[in-house]
Amino acid sequence: MSAPVAAGLASYLGRAWGEPVVIEALSRISGGASRETYRFDALVGGARRPLILRRDPPGSLIETDRRSEFLALKSFHGRGVAAPEPLILEDEGAELERPFFIMARIESGAASSPFAPDPYAPHAAALGADFFGTLGRIAGADTATLPLAEVCEAPALDACWRRELDYWSGVIEADEQHPQPIVRAAIRWLRRHPPPPAAKLGVVHGDYRSGNFLHDAAGRMTAVLDWEMVHFGDPLEDLGWAMDPLWSHGETDRVAGLLPRAEAIAVWEAASGLNFDPAAFVWWELFASVKGQAIWTSAAKEYRDGGYREPILCFSGWYTARRHDEILAAKLSELAA
Amino acid sequence: MTPSVREVLQGVAIALSTPPSADAGLAFDASRMGLAASLAMMAAAEAERAAAAAIAENADIRALFAEASAHDPAGELAAAARQADTDLDTPALDAANARLRRQLIALHERVEAANDAGFERKIVALYVRMAEGRRMALGLG
Repeated sequence: MSAPVAAGLASYLGRAWGEPVVIEALSRISGGASRETYRFDALVGGARRPLILRRDPPGSLIETDRRSEFLALKSFHGRGVAAPEPLILEDEGAELERPFFIMARIESGAASSPFAPDPYAPHAAALGADFFGTLGRIAGADTATLPLAEVCEAPALDACWRRELDYWSGVIEADEQHPQPIVRAAIRWLRRHPPPPAAKLGVVHGDYRSGNFLHDAAGRMTAVLDWEMVHFGDPLEDLGWAMDPLWSHGETDRVAGLLPRAEAIAVWEAASGLNFDPAAFVWWELFASVKGQAIWTSAAKEYRDGGYREPILCFSGWYTARRHDEILAAKLSELAA
Repeated sequence: MTPSVREVLQGVAIALSTPPSADAGLAFDASRMGLAASLAMMAAAEAERAAAAAIAENADIRALFAEASAHDPAGELAAAARQADTDLDTPALDAANARLRRQLIALHERVEAANDAGFERKIVALYVRMAEGRRMALGLG
């Protein structure tokens, strides 16, 4: 069998751990478009270690820093957030040819599709409390004390919004292939109506949403996944993304398909120790959809530039882009009323 | 629009003709094939309606331009409003749509600068119709 990943892992881990390693049950996990993710078992010293490999792809949907993701796991593993244990970071790629990191595999739980109808019933309420409570604990963490502080810039409280908006509007400017009047109108609205300064500088997971966590089908989150867009910023950024209608499974009465909006906010406030500012949140909710549209715009470009090879990029650049146009138009309509 | 139905189906064809990767495993390949199948069905639905949607959107934008004389100092929008789609090939419709959307973006910027809230509401109402007109259903929809 031609299995360069397995052979590369065996060689690399053998060097890293100083004893022979056998790789078994290697298989790629579907979903993420920004990293190749594999599950595998490493047999070493008579023990079987269940692990996850996250490797940079040849082309990526999102330009992210694997070191940030690794340090995010290090910042939160064992600290009240179900973050997998990070184990090895390899920036050069070595035997695997592209940079990667390895983390412990959490065996309990599964992820749900963000587009499946009502995937969390009948435990949605309990899971929602865990989901928004966990987000609150991430938001409430003291950024200065975390390993993430090694790599994350700390913007001024009144600069968080501008940094994010500049970045994502720049992505649209660079990658747009067909004119997008709706998202451009939203970007201009955001520039004309800046939010108040962040209440605190917090860790922003960057992609905290339905579908990006494992759960035990009994109301408990077992792992928070996909930290590749982590940064320091306004904690309302994550809340806006988590509550974006794209991730609500078509429901209008529960955010993320989990909790009524007011309950989700109350849980987040209690866990974060922060006060929810409805006026500021109007800005961050609209921004979330702009950010989404920027990601899908990049996906469409990547799909074309990459020779139409990745169906997930096609789906992202097509279906989700159109959904976000609907969501943005509805939000603009409310704001213009 | 991006990607076009042709580009979607190119990707489906590539996915179907690419040998499974030894590293990926059966579950990954099955998932990839499932997604490709969904994209094929979505492309079928899109092929049936894409031209009609583009024609309707272009007509809707032109109708708005016909009402925009207060924000059309050079008469460009009035000229665009008098045109119609005569080449009904999808690439031609998309090219016309791109021109109209660029003009719409510029119009909206002028309307904002003029603080014309009434006309801005008309533009935003058009955005809602544009987004609804391009709505897609997942999978077999």
